[in-house]
Amino acid sequence: MTALAILTALAPLAGPAAALVGARARASAVAQAAGAAVALGAAIALLTELTGGRPLQGWDGFLYADSLSGFFLLTVAGVTLLAALGSVSYIAAQEDSGELGPFQVKLYFTFFGLFAALMLASLEAGNLGLLFVLVEGSTLASAALVGLEGHARSLEAAWKYVIISSLGVTIALAGTLFVFYSASALHPASNLGLTWPYLLAHATALAPQSLRLGFLLAVVGYGTKVGLAPMHTWLPDAHAEAPSPASAMLSAALLNVGMYAIIRFLAIAHARLGGTYPRAVLLSFGFASIVIGALFMVRKGNFKRLFAYSSVEHMGIIAVALGFGGVLGLYGALLQVLSHALAKSVLFLASGDVSLRYKTREAAGVSGLLAAVPVTGGALLLATFAVLGSPPFGVFLSELTIIRAGFARGSPIFPLLLLALLGVAFFAFARTITATVTGGPPDPVPASPYRDRAAAAVSAAPLILGLAALLVLGLWIPAGLDAVLRQSAAVIG
Amino acid sequence: MQSLSASSTAGVLLDLSGAAILLLAFACLASKLFNRYVAYYGAQSVVLAFAAGTSAVAFHSLELWILAVLTLLIKGLAIPFAARRVLVRRLALKRDAAMSTGLSTSLLAGGALTAFAYLVTRPALLPHGTAAAAVVPLSTAVILLGALAMVVRRHTVAQLIGWLIVENGVFLGAITLVATFPFIVEAGIFLDIVAGVLIMVVFVSGLTRQLAEASATELRELRG
Repeated sequence: MTALAILTALAPLAGPAAALVGARARASAVAQAAGAAVALGAAIALLTELTGGRPLQGWDGFLYADSLSGFFLLTVAGVTLLAALGSVSYIAAQEDSGELGPFQVKLYFTFFGLFAALMLASLEAGNLGLLFVLVEGSTLASAALVGLEGHARSLEAAWKYVIISSLGVTIALAGTLFVFYSASALHPASNLGLTWPYLLAHATALAPQSLRLGFLLAVVGYGTKVGLAPMHTWLPDAHAEAPSPASAMLSAALLNVGMYAIIRFLAIAHARLGGTYPRAVLLSFGFASIVIGALFMVRKGNFKRLFAYSSVEHMGIIAVALGFGGVLGLYGALLQVLSHALAKSVLFLASGDVSLRYKTREAAGVSGLLAAVPVTGGALLLATFAVLGSPPFGVFLSELTIIRAGFARGSPIFPLLLLALLGVAFFAFARTITATVTGGPPDPVPASPYRDRAAAAVSAAPLILGLAALLVLGLWIPAGLDAVLRQSAAVIG
Repeated sequence: MQSLSASSTAGVLLDLSGAAILLLAFACLASKLFNRYVAYYGAQSVVLAFAAGTSAVAFHSLELWILAVLTLLIKGLAIPFAARRVLVRRLALKRDAAMSTGLSTSLLAGGALTAFAYLVTRPALLPHGTAAAAVVPLSTAVILLGALAMVVRRHTVAQLIGWLIVENGVFLGAITLVATFPFIVEAGIFLDIVAGVLIMVVFVSGLTRQLAEASATELRELRG
C-alpha cells in the first residue's frame, strides 16, 4: 500500500521530467497525461485497498491515508488527468501560435506536475505541520502557473494570489500551533503529537480553549485557499489569468485540497467541542461565500471569472453541508466535491478552447458556439446545467442530499435560504452562458487553432470524459463509491 | 514537552526577546523608508535567532540549535541582504508613499491589535507563570502587526516584508509554546519561506518592469 501511495504522489512528475530533458509541448503534455493516468490508477487501487480495510500509516505518522484521503486522492488525480489531457492541445496550440515561448512551455509543465504532485502528497500527509508545508508548496507552484503568460494582468493576479494565500496558510500554521498546544497535557512525542489520527484518538484530552482558537484560525487560513468569503479575493483573478487547464486545476483540485485540510481540523474539533461551535463557524463562512459568489455571477463579463465565482459559491455549499453535518450532510458534501470538480474541469477546459478560437475571454465577444464548434458548445452548455444542479447530473444529486440534510437538522431557514441562493446563481450563470452558446456564429467562423484533426479530437476528449463521469454520478452511484463515501463520512463524525 | 517557567533565566530572556521583536515590528510599521523595512526585519530575525538559541539551551535540544543557526543565516542575513540588493537597490526604492492610512493611524491600530492579542490569548488559554503565557501574546501581536502592515501598505515590497514579519511571529510562538514542531516540518517551513521569497521577488521585479512602479495602487485592472 505504501508503494501505491508513493506512486500516486510521484507519477505526475513525469511531465516535469519530460519538460526538463527538453521535450516540446506535445511530448511533455503526453508524458504529463500518462503520469496523471498512472496516478489515477494508483489512487483507485489504493482506495480499493483502503475501503473496508485499515488505514495506511507509516514514517512516524508523516504518511497517513484512510478512505477520506483516498476519496480526495481520486478526485484530485482525476482532475489532474482531465487537465493534463486538456493541456495536450491547448499548450501545443499556444506554442504553435507563438503566444508561449519554449521557456514558458518548459515552466508550465515543470510547475504543473509539481503542483499536482504536491497536492496529492498533501492528501497523504498524516502530520498537520507537514500538511502546511505541502499546501504552501502547492501555492507557490501554482502561482508560477498563474503568472505564466507574463503580462501585467497575469503578474498582478499571481502576486495577489501568492501574497494572500501565503498569508492565509501562515495563519493556518498559527492555528496548527494552537491545536498542537492543546495536546500538551498528553505530553506526546513531538512527531506524534501533531499527527491527526493521534489527535483524533485523544480528542477528549485536548484543551478546549486552545483547540477552539486553533480550529477558527485553521478554517480562516485554509479557507483562504478554499476561497471562502471574505478571503476569496485572490480567486477570480487567479482563475481568470491562468492558462485554462491550470485554471481547471486551481478550481477543481486546489480548492478541494484546502477543503480536505478543513475537514481534518473539523473532525478533531467536532470530537472535542461537540457540534455547535464548528457548525456555526462553517455555516457562517459557507453562507457568506454562497451570497458573494451568487451576487458576483450576476455581472456579465469574463466567463472565466464567472466560473471562478461559481467555485466560490460551490465551496460555500460544501462548507454549509459540512455545517449541516450528520451522515447525510457529510455524504452530500463529499459527493459535491467530486461532482463539482468534474463539472468545473469541463467548464474551464471548454473555456480554454473557446478563448483559443475567439481570442477573447469576454462573454460578450462570443456567440453561436453550438453552430460554430458543436462539441465545445455542447459540452459548455451541458456542463453549465450540470454545475447549476440540473438533473440528470451529479451535482443535482449532491445538492439534493445537502438540502435534505439541512431539513433533517430541524430549522428549515437554512435549507430554504440555500435554495433561494441556488436559484439566483442558476439565473445569473445560465443567462451569460446561453447567450454565448446560442445565436448565429460570427462571420467568418473562427479558424481551428489546432494543427490537425487529431489535435482537435484530443482537445474534446477530456470534455467528453468529464461529462460522462458526471452523468454516471447523477444516475447511479457505484456500490464501491457509495461504500467509500459512507466510510469517509464516518471519519468526520 | 516540559514548559519553561517565566522566572527562569531562559524564560526572562525569551520574554525580553519577544518584547524586542514586537518593538521591531512596531518600528517597521512606523517607518516610511524601504531600507528601514529591510533593516528592521533583519534585526527582528537576529533577535528571533537569539530566542531560538535560548530555547535550545533550556530544552537541551539539538534541533532548536540548528533552527537558531538557520534563522540567523537565512532570515537574519540572506533574505535582508538579497532584498536590499535585488529589490531596494536595483529597483531604486526609497520612500514608500503608497499607504492607505497615515502613520499615526496605523500605529494606533497596531496598539489596539496588541491589546487585542493579549485579550484573546491571556485568559484561560495559557497557564500562569510559564514563559509561554508571557511570550504567546507577544507573538500573536507580531502576527497581527505584520498582517496590518500588509493591509495598510500597498507597495508589493512592503507587503512581502509584512508577510515575513507574520512568519516570524508564528515562529516565535512555536519555539515558546510547544518548544518546536517536528524538525522535518520546521525545515519544510524554511524551504517554503525561501521558495516563497524567490517567487515573490520574480513577480515584484516583473511587475515593476511592467508598471514602472510596483505599487498595488496601480494594480487596479482586475476588479470585481
